[in-house]
Amino acid sequence: MSAQTPRGWWLTERELREWFQQLIADGTKLVGPVDEDDLRIFRQVTSADSISLAAGKTQWSPKEFLLPRSEPLYAYTFEDGAPRLRDPEPLLADQAIVGVRPCDAAGLARLDSVFLSGTRDPHYQRRRDRTTVVSLSCVDATPDCFCTAAGGTPHGEEGADAILIPLAGRWLLRSITPKGAGLLARQRHAWPESTAEHDVAAENQRRRVEESMRRSPVMPEWPALLDRAFDLPVWQHLGERCMSCSICSYVCPSCSCFDMQDEGNPWCGSLCRSWDSCTFGLFTRHASGHNPRPTQVERYRQRVLHKFAYFPMERDGRLMCVGCGRCILLCPAGIDIYEAVRAVVEAQRNEVGASERS
Amino acid sequence: MDNPYRPDLMRIVGVRDETPDVRTLELDFLDREAAREFSTAWGPGQFGHFTVWGAGECVFTIANAPPLRPAGGDVRIECTFRAIGKVTNALRGLASGEIIGFRGPYGNTFPVADWKGRDLMFIGGGIGMAALRSPIQYVLDRRAEFGQIVILNGARTASDLVYREEMWEWQKKDGVRVVRTVDPGGETPEWDGEVGLLPHVFERLALGPDGRAVVVCGPPVMLHFMFLSLEKLGYSPQQVVTTLENKMKCGIGLCGRCNIGPFFVCRDGPVVTWAQMQTMPKDM
Repeated sequence: MSAQTPRGWWLTERELREWFQQLIADGTKLVGPVDEDDLRIFRQVTSADSISLAAGKTQWSPKEFLLPRSEPLYAYTFEDGAPRLRDPEPLLADQAIVGVRPCDAAGLARLDSVFLSGTRDPHYQRRRDRTTVVSLSCVDATPDCFCTAAGGTPHGEEGADAILIPLAGRWLLRSITPKGAGLLARQRHAWPESTAEHDVAAENQRRRVEESMRRSPVMPEWPALLDRAFDLPVWQHLGERCMSCSICSYVCPSCSCFDMQDEGNPWCGSLCRSWDSCTFGLFTRHASGHNPRPTQVERYRQRVLHKFAYFPMERDGRLMCVGCGRCILLCPAGIDIYEAVRAVVEAQRNEVGASERS
Repeated sequence: MDNPYRPDLMRIVGVRDETPDVRTLELDFLDREAAREFSTAWGPGQFGHFTVWGAGECVFTIANAPPLRPAGGDVRIECTFRAIGKVTNALRGLASGEIIGFRGPYGNTFPVADWKGRDLMFIGGGIGMAALRSPIQYVLDRRAEFGQIVILNGARTASDLVYREEMWEWQKKDGVRVVRTVDPGGETPEWDGEVGLLPHVFERLALGPDGRAVVVCGPPVMLHFMFLSLEKLGYSPQQVVTTLENKMKCGIGLCGRCNIGPFFVCRDGPVVTWAQMQTMPKDM
């Protein structure tokens, strides 16, 4: 008489908000998309009603709730001439990040593979351990969206613990991981279970959104092709447009590179980690003045190759790009990373073709 | 928390000026357990991150070799650095007895096991000698295990030559030849070494590639011309190793700035063969 795990639950808007509010009441730090002035951004909320689950994506990803823009890695003070070092204070609350688009949830999974494989980063890990992600499937795609080209879908479950699918004015809620099940354990008995018809409707929605996306998939052979394209002149043309503002890295759900600086004085302070970007000139400049990547051409090439060649070659072909499209939307120079990748792949194919003909 | 970014505390126990702007520090761990843990992982060629609180961290090669016979729990490390930026100038401002931070050892080691029974040549340009001092000490401590040893130490001027006192000690050992050189124009009236750029002096020595392992460390432009000279004299890319240098922050493969293609200098280097270097993209 093993209890069948329900395929999901069929929630009203009110039930959903009550669940969120209960999480807050239980002491969970609730984070979700909030409309603030003309931006939609992730914020910790004290009222479930302030969360916006309407169509569209947030201005930037929720990665700062796992990898803060700036965080102390340890603190130091000098007492009687002797340094005392202290680890950061323990985290006191669990957090639930809700309303995360599937591309952003996949971005968190990319951060996991940077910070939790190889040398594990305990600062990232402790936040990740206490975080549950409830994603939100997409009912439409904007022209910059290309999750389907980057290995995802508008209903993708990678990186999420539970997923919310808006259907006909109600919510189909599915639990994906034990963490997700834990988050809804208290309320789920009061909710009606979803049916096979809901699954069919969800599937139709996914297909409809996917069909509205025009960009063709990044193919498995592209990383190796790109890696061989390092010396091609096409980078010159692509990199010359980059202005080194690095907005692409800051809004990217999977960009993980960071800087470390002492913040303080000789008596007290901390070693701080902050987001950084490979498109900044100082990123790689040696103290001697030598810079292995002296211009935007080399820096932009690094950005593309790290995401579409080096990372996937090392990690089972998964890209360090989830196709959220924010960098395309926000680049002041109008650079489209997907088109850049295609252009380099094309150039490399022409190169190979030319050398075979000669 | 097992915090990889929190350094161990080390006391400066010795300060030696190599040149007007290059200094060597001797450092002792304050904590014996930290010293023990460090020494179980330490090999020649590795590097560490050194902290001056309030200024920041910087990366240096560990410039001495693990002792042949460790004495109790005491581990002393040395670093040689040029005062060139914010942190290195702050470090230069510290005196013997003061405490700094250290985390490491990081990276791989020189292939010392492969060198057994072979003749060795160490070629260092400027502060590149700092990376060679650890393997030099290592092989001199085990002199009988290796063949003839040639050490070629070059600098821009006579006053920029590092380890000038120690070179006499190295030279005294059986089968060790030390050649000192300065760039043309860098000599003084008293200079009694060679005059010439390292690649030229190397070629003049006319030492062939048979049975010899070569280690060459120095600035990128020197490496470029050294490789041309090594090629000219018939050396194969497999018998030459060097160390890569890149801007680093974390030292543990996470911060994302020291890579050359998929190769992370902190994680996969810093020691590489010339052959490996030839397969890398020109991103250095």
